[in-house]
Amino acid sequence: MSKKAKSLILHFVLIILVVITIIPFLWMVFSSFKTNSEITSITPTFLPKLFTFNNYVNVQKSFNFLRLFANSLFLSVAITAIVIYTSTISGFVFAKYKFRGKNLLFGLVLGTMMIPWCVTIIPRYSMMLDFKWLDSYLAIIIPAAVSGFGIFMMRQSISTIPNEMLEAARIDGASEWFIFHKIVFPLSQNVISSIAIFQFLWSWEDYLWPYLIISSEEKQVLSVGLKMFNGRYGTDYGGLFAATTISIIPVLIVYLIFQKRFIDGIAASSVKG
Amino acid sequence: MAKTKTLRKESIFSLKNIVVTGLIIFYAVFLVIPIIMAFVGSFHKWNPLKGDFIYTGFENYTRVFTNDLFWSSLSNTLIFTIVVIFFRIVIGLGIALILYSSIVKGKTFFRAAFYMPVVTPLVAVSFVWVWMYNPQMGLINQILGTNINWLLNKDTALGSVIAMTIWKDYGYAVVLFLAGLYGLPKDCYEAAEIDGASGFSLFRYITLPLLKPMTLFVVITSIISYLQTYIQILVMTEGGPGTSTYVTSYLIFDEAFVKYNFGYASAISFVMFIVIAIFTVFAFKITSDKEKGGAK
Repeated sequence: MSKKAKSLILHFVLIILVVITIIPFLWMVFSSFKTNSEITSITPTFLPKLFTFNNYVNVQKSFNFLRLFANSLFLSVAITAIVIYTSTISGFVFAKYKFRGKNLLFGLVLGTMMIPWCVTIIPRYSMMLDFKWLDSYLAIIIPAAVSGFGIFMMRQSISTIPNEMLEAARIDGASEWFIFHKIVFPLSQNVISSIAIFQFLWSWEDYLWPYLIISSEEKQVLSVGLKMFNGRYGTDYGGLFAATTISIIPVLIVYLIFQKRFIDGIAASSVKG
Repeated sequence: MAKTKTLRKESIFSLKNIVVTGLIIFYAVFLVIPIIMAFVGSFHKWNPLKGDFIYTGFENYTRVFTNDLFWSSLSNTLIFTIVVIFFRIVIGLGIALILYSSIVKGKTFFRAAFYMPVVTPLVAVSFVWVWMYNPQMGLINQILGTNINWLLNKDTALGSVIAMTIWKDYGYAVVLFLAGLYGLPKDCYEAAEIDGASGFSLFRYITLPLLKPMTLFVVITSIISYLQTYIQILVMTEGGPGTSTYVTSYLIFDEAFVKYNFGYASAISFVMFIVIAIFTVFAFKITSDKEKGGAK
């Protein structure tokens, strides 16, 4: 087979796969601009015949969408920022320091990734009950403040920073904190980007924990809100399409911001098996 | 590092000490204590609302193994996990190999497109797919010209959730395998090509073995997360119709937070924990055996 023909076939396969991958999103976005009668009509359409913004306007009327959106945004940004900091600093300690019980502690870190959530969720819930943290964001932020995945990724990448570089800074009189903030942190941007993408997504889509912890409706997060909206206003398909479309946007923005460094970050931290 | 120790006396409030202490406290409170509590609790009748904490021995565990719902949920969970992981790896590796090829253009675009479902919240895409599967308005029936009620039919419900999960997650495998391919040493290929290897044999004897660490990484992270699948079941089928999509995480959630049988739910989670451990060890074993075979 000629190179040209092979290249054509490969591109054709890729484009088909892209269409399959993207179509559910396009369909959702187009449907969010359709009227409810068009969505439910017997002769369905792909592109909206009658273009309307009403679904987006109404979604705020049917449930306090913006409030839940803001709650989710606040929680996800806060948790992501905290996790980036705790992962980088812990990764630094695991990669560049010696201390007693280091392997045991790192085992615990890996353990968080291996232990199923279903084992710890029940005791954690009963702990939150004892701490009187139910219906409080403390119960969502504090247990999520340290990420085993983040520390693991960071340790892998920070161990590739040459010791000589840190040593040179120490000789110049730099403190450990200075070295961390001014050398290690900036050098870790690629992995920080991948952690940011993953952590933001995980916090944004988290359903079960907020569902258990938060009881006041105005404190609830968007993913739980979407499910409640679906149950209560099950016939407002346009509203559901609009709400779902908006709920996807922040994650895509975070992805677009960080994606350039993202692949390098994954390559640097997870390949070396 | 040893040098600095002799140069400077370490303060109790050094970066290292603060971080290590912080981590110890964090993991003690949110990992070690909960595991011990769950383990002890699994031998008790435990209801935090009523204040019950009564020792019952192995009763919870006997109940798990004699519960038909547990067995059907476990079989659904295993089918789900195995099928999703299989397709995730095959599709992920296939696309990564195409994207890695030098004759393909627009790699960044394709990569971003394939990754889009991965960075989309699972709750949101589960909703989208409920509509995709809708018998009247759903896109899938429109395209196929059928009117199958995918999610309300015993024979198609589990498969439909599986298909959606593969769609959502394969992009992650693409990116990981692509990262793995870019990390492969070029000299291996050159040496093999000089020895006359080409095409499929290059793939079979060089690419595949070298990608093993990455494959193992994908398999193990997938086992842990898919054996605990919950969200798509909750949004798309709620375990039904009948018990055809009922998964073990759903059973645990139901027993714990709907019926408040914390002890019984803990017992099920420990059984799941063991299942996950067995599968993980199994995955390690398969790859290391192959290694021995390949070395012959």
